[in-house]
Amino acid sequence: MAFLMQFGNRWSSLGWLGGKMIRFIFFFIFLSAIFRHVPSVANYSLAEVALFFLTFNLVDIGAQIFFRGLYMIGRDIREGDMDFYLIQPVHPLFRISSNLVDFLDFLTLIPVTALIFYMLPKVMGNLSSVEILWRGFLYLLLCVNGVLIAFSIHVLIASITVRTQQMETTIWLYRDISSLGRFPVDVYSNLFQAFLTFVVPIAVMVSYPSKAVLGFLSLEQIFFSFIVSGALLIFSQFTWKSALKKYCSVSS
Amino acid sequence: MKKYWQVFQISLQQELYYRASFIMDRARSITIVIAFYAFWTALFSDRATLLGFSKSQMLTYVLGMNILRALIFSDKTWEMLREINMGRLSYYLIRPISYIRYCLCRDMADKCMHLVSSVLEVSFALLILNIPFYVPRDFLTVLTFLTASAFAMLLYFLMTYAVGALAFWTAESMGPRFCFELFLEFAAGAFFPLDVLPRSLKTAFELLPFSSLLYFPLNIFLERLDPEALLRGFAIQIFWIGIFFYFTRAIWNKGLQAYCAEGG
Repeated sequence: MAFLMQFGNRWSSLGWLGGKMIRFIFFFIFLSAIFRHVPSVANYSLAEVALFFLTFNLVDIGAQIFFRGLYMIGRDIREGDMDFYLIQPVHPLFRISSNLVDFLDFLTLIPVTALIFYMLPKVMGNLSSVEILWRGFLYLLLCVNGVLIAFSIHVLIASITVRTQQMETTIWLYRDISSLGRFPVDVYSNLFQAFLTFVVPIAVMVSYPSKAVLGFLSLEQIFFSFIVSGALLIFSQFTWKSALKKYCSVSS
Repeated sequence: MKKYWQVFQISLQQELYYRASFIMDRARSITIVIAFYAFWTALFSDRATLLGFSKSQMLTYVLGMNILRALIFSDKTWEMLREINMGRLSYYLIRPISYIRYCLCRDMADKCMHLVSSVLEVSFALLILNIPFYVPRDFLTVLTFLTASAFAMLLYFLMTYAVGALAFWTAESMGPRFCFELFLEFAAGAFFPLDVLPRSLKTAFELLPFSSLLYFPLNIFLERLDPEALLRGFAIQIFWIGIFFYFTRAIWNKGLQAYCAEGG
């Protein structure tokens, strides 16, 4: 249904897609152009900074595709649709998330993935095949981990919205903070890096996969990233269930 | 004139009422500033100048970007699209009020709120982070900057009004508006100065109306323009204002003829 809706509104969809592509292309031009004037940014080369940027896009788009519906939860509650979802024989989180699957993002994912495949050999250099496979596997695993963290944050925000029937705009705050992951987090001050690692784990979500490929991630940090996602997932599920218990229909 | 003053006041009150949305809007601008401030600071860590900018000029550009984004890009034209698409425009057309002036007042209220907030944010950042802020040497620079900013506001209003008029012909104008907004922001230098771009791209962008919105006024403030470039910049601004003034009026009149108050 989401697919039909998006392709039914062709001009609108084309506009949204065009906007997303413009943002992606301009940022990429910006990064490429800046490296015509400087050799490195925070000791990272162009290919490395590009990988950070592309990984941010990969994780962000991945989350956008599957969790877009959670952005609408405030409206669903206000218009009574939430009551309808709760009585259906399907997990409410899945029902709400899949309410709006952004198929346009599948299209934006194509150039992002292609460029990642182009960049990976450039940043991995002359590593042995085993090392390349290991780092590639770790990269993939940490990207999935990043999407899981994004999912948990979305659920936490959805829970707050269910509890308060407002605060859905918090999702935009999260989106804005997550956009700080476009650049390697090393460009930020130590205090801010700590904030992006331990408070809102954007660094773990979008920077750790690239760092793993570059060999800058210790074993402790790899474990830490899985602990963060696991803990967030459990906490978000607990918060969601507790929010549902307090939910009182407001408009149906 | 009194009724438009009332529109301005009511719009201001609305902005204050929907505080969460306002704060989220500001949060968005602040994160852009944080990201680019950190990025440029990292770049200037081992050099005094880059792309013809000193460190203080570049960081002032980033902070000025925040203020000018608030002043120029704050608008309510998204509401205009909804009003046309849902037929609510009829309410205004049958009243003794000019819709364009109504929109202008609504926009001004939005701009006032965002401007005050952005000035406070920048002042706070200057105090806390001890950022080297570039202060123009000549007071005339400030006056020229303010004039260019006023022209930029007018140009932006005319441009968004023209794009908003698309809603007369299609209910799918939100997507194209989003696309236009993103292109405009990048081409205006609202994320980074256009000097970063390859020369050919920069020259092309300077001739388009977008660079007149933000890049040109900020370059005036940073005293990076010689008299010739200054005159050329103003000529480009006035040229595009003239073009858009006639274009917007024509497209709006055509749109009103096509308007059939669907859903109203």
